[in-house]
Amino acid sequence: MEKLLSIPFLIFMPLVISMFVISPLFTRNEIIVRRFSKSIFGLHFLYSILMLALFDPANPYISQIHFFGLDWIQSMGVKFIFKIDNISMILVMLTSFVFLISSFASKFNIRENHKFYYSMLLLLESAILGIFTAGDMFVFFLFWELELIPAYFLIGGKWKGLENESEAAKAQNSAIKFVLFTFLGSMVMLLGILLLHYYNYISNGILSASFTDINASRIPEYIQILISVCLLIGFGVKLPIIPLHTWLPDAHTNAPTPVSMILAGILLKTGAYGIFRFNYRTLSDAFITIAPILAVFALINIIYTAFVAYAQTDIKRIVAYSSISNMGLILLGLCAINQIGLSASVFHMVAHALVTCGLFMIAGIVYLRCKTRDINTLSGIAAVMPRLFGFAVLIVLASIGIPAFAPFVSEILTIIASLNADFSDVLKFVSVFSLPLLIISSCYMLKFLHKSFYGELPQEFEKVNDITVHEFIVLASVLAGLVIFGIFPGVLLNMAG
Amino acid sequence: MLKDIFNILLPHISLAGFIILQLVLSLLLSPRLYRYARLVSVIGISLSIILLSTVQTEPQYFAFKDSLMSDSYTLLFDFLILVCGFLTALLSRNLIKTIKGNAYTFQALLLTAIFGAMNIISANDFLTLFVSIEILSFSTYFLIAAAKGYYSKEASFKYLLTSAISSGVFLFGVSYLYGITGSLNLSEIYEIVMNQDPSIMYSISAIMIVLGLISKLAVFPFANWVIDVYKGAETSVLAFLSTIPKLAVFGILCRLLVFPLSNSFELTFVIAIITLITAFWANTYAIRENNVKVILACSASANSSYVLLAACLVSVYNLSTVIFYLLCYVLMNISAFAFLNICSDKHDMDVRSFKGLFYNNHGLTGAYAFSVLALAGFPITSGFVAKIYLFTAIASSGLIFVPFLLILLILTVAALYYYLKILIPLFERCDKNTETPKLNPVFSQKFVLIVTAAITLLIGIYPEKIIELCRFIAYNI
Repeated sequence: MEKLLSIPFLIFMPLVISMFVISPLFTRNEIIVRRFSKSIFGLHFLYSILMLALFDPANPYISQIHFFGLDWIQSMGVKFIFKIDNISMILVMLTSFVFLISSFASKFNIRENHKFYYSMLLLLESAILGIFTAGDMFVFFLFWELELIPAYFLIGGKWKGLENESEAAKAQNSAIKFVLFTFLGSMVMLLGILLLHYYNYISNGILSASFTDINASRIPEYIQILISVCLLIGFGVKLPIIPLHTWLPDAHTNAPTPVSMILAGILLKTGAYGIFRFNYRTLSDAFITIAPILAVFALINIIYTAFVAYAQTDIKRIVAYSSISNMGLILLGLCAINQIGLSASVFHMVAHALVTCGLFMIAGIVYLRCKTRDINTLSGIAAVMPRLFGFAVLIVLASIGIPAFAPFVSEILTIIASLNADFSDVLKFVSVFSLPLLIISSCYMLKFLHKSFYGELPQEFEKVNDITVHEFIVLASVLAGLVIFGIFPGVLLNMAG
Repeated sequence: MLKDIFNILLPHISLAGFIILQLVLSLLLSPRLYRYARLVSVIGISLSIILLSTVQTEPQYFAFKDSLMSDSYTLLFDFLILVCGFLTALLSRNLIKTIKGNAYTFQALLLTAIFGAMNIISANDFLTLFVSIEILSFSTYFLIAAAKGYYSKEASFKYLLTSAISSGVFLFGVSYLYGITGSLNLSEIYEIVMNQDPSIMYSISAIMIVLGLISKLAVFPFANWVIDVYKGAETSVLAFLSTIPKLAVFGILCRLLVFPLSNSFELTFVIAIITLITAFWANTYAIRENNVKVILACSASANSSYVLLAACLVSVYNLSTVIFYLLCYVLMNISAFAFLNICSDKHDMDVRSFKGLFYNNHGLTGAYAFSVLALAGFPITSGFVAKIYLFTAIASSGLIFVPFLLILLILTVAALYYYLKILIPLFERCDKNTETPKLNPVFSQKFVLIVTAAITLLIGIYPEKIIELCRFIAYNI
């Protein structure tokens, strides 16, 4: 059984299939393309479940690819190495799941260029899995950059048919913005990686870039901090940390629904994962110095964007800003530098991915039927979409941290963790001040629910249909995840710890 | 004596023979037979590539009283120059079709330029070096002017003026160096310089020499020609211009920086400043531009500046990164220009006129997009590995250069913007009432584009063997 498991297969299977889907060999028939890709995502999900079932935290999966007996760039000590430890495993699982449900969500949102769309979706999955499993800094960076190409096309592509010219132009602009911001971050990050690689070489004498070979404790303190800051700017664009966040609302709003789900559900987590892998684990000495400052940034993230979200009228923008707010919470969990904080942070990655997928799905469903996402124009649609209303109420309640849903656990644990952080009083201060998040988030979420679902039903929305089977599957699976992890958080927390 | 000359110079001699052959043919053959001009060039260059295997390189060979030399370093650069020349000659079909009667003369000039470039690499003497540079420059003026129209003549004249000024600067620097050391031979100068304390005159002469050389690289003080020349010249000439002079000048520059000019801190400082100015200028200028040729001109300038910074921080490791970067860079650049060559008869070079090309020409446009992504440094292309490898060299040169590196890295974001500007229209759908364009390349154009793109991909996936080769050569300089 163990022999069946292979990390390269897990990572490169979507990539190979994506090349196959885009090639002229594969049919142009829309239905076949869709069903084939869906089944590939399903297969991938089953495969990652298999990997999870056989996973033993004591000996993580490691796999190295050789090129004719040599490492990838041997002269720089760069090995093409992959490693799945417990946190990678959770995130791989999450990625696989979110891609599966977003492929379900694609049915009504994508109207043309199906071949291209699904091949880009598969390519993006490969790239993100590569980020989560990379065991070498340069391999990490390779996938980090590779992810930009499919992400650009997915955000900026014309998937909705020709009637939406101005929207397509807007989407393309936000895609360019996304690519430029991320590229800026990744260039600064590259500087950090190069410096880490070089100083690790001169202080330890090992020419290697794999995470296990890096021992940062011998590098001078100020250089460690320099490297950390460079890396944090790179991850801060993705996470995002406040002054670097401006690409996010545009990209999330203008992308088609399934892509928004991936962006908020998975792509943002790559930033958090990067901070965990590089700053938290590898450069842990410098992280103790930086953590209090970073926690203040996290606090700004949490509070400021929650207020901004309250001022929005577009459903997708509300969800986008709430994502930034929640990412601040994840960052705060990491800054606490203790076991509770780490597992709370990983738990919140999962919980937030589920919530945000559900919320974007709801926004997409509403937009598809009513042709608007403005909460001032919408009203009373609960009357015509009772099932959607039921899901919306439950997912909104989950997102504002009601017990029995997953986000409640992680929010409480994060605050406990930062109160327990002994090395700095700033963390305690931050944790106290981040409590209002729960109130403000319930303000904007309930405002959205109230304005769009309650009230009088205008005439133009009277003929709107309720959700279809596809949409039901997506919302139900998200909700199931939220409830399961809300009631049995121990499963995930143990694994993350 | 004669044996020594033949040991080193057989490829040069064969190339010179073909230059004369082309000139004779231009007198004998009627203009209707212009097609065979390209064939003769291709045969000549291929023969030289084959004859490279006869060159003795172990350890170093000298000829003509030490004024020419060969080692594995010159061999590699000769090989790269000849390969670029080969690909350029293949691309020149469209151009010689328009100048018919002068096709043989054009090809003779192309071969002369390649000959000059090879001589620059082999030069071990400032006089030989100067003469070789002039051979390269003079043929380049005519190559640029070969295209029809007013702009090519203007471009040629601009290039001539800049080259003349930079030649003057170069000679001035050489005269100072001669005054200090009493010799023009590189090996002798190296020995003399190493045995005495560096004086300010020495630094000035080193700066002058380097400034004189780098005009060919379109780097700051002499960069003003690059926009006009790229606008005016034909695409196959650009494929030549953006690769061969660069290879030649970087080849000799690295040798100069490793040997006779290595002793000057001021030089490093000046080059670092020049690099920053060039990178800033080129990357920000291209943001406003809509002409693909101009954007590629700026990208050429910017790329030269990155390599120059690594080259001036002298070490063997840096040298290997420079060689590797150049090797990858010339291939992707030729690939990009090969695509422009295919499109040249149908499009003005505005980015918007390339709209929707992807949908009827998947392979060709895909290869072109791949090469442009390689120039931008995206993964699974050789550009990614080359960029990382080059920047490691700069990062490992000390903390002083970290801010420099940071600025260069941030400027590559601007670079990505203009590369995206080239790429995005290719994938845009055309309007319903306009027809999706279709390209009709001939075999040689397709061959150049696909082969260079394929090598770019191959090096991107499996760079180790090439890097090892570059390291071997850098250690043996």
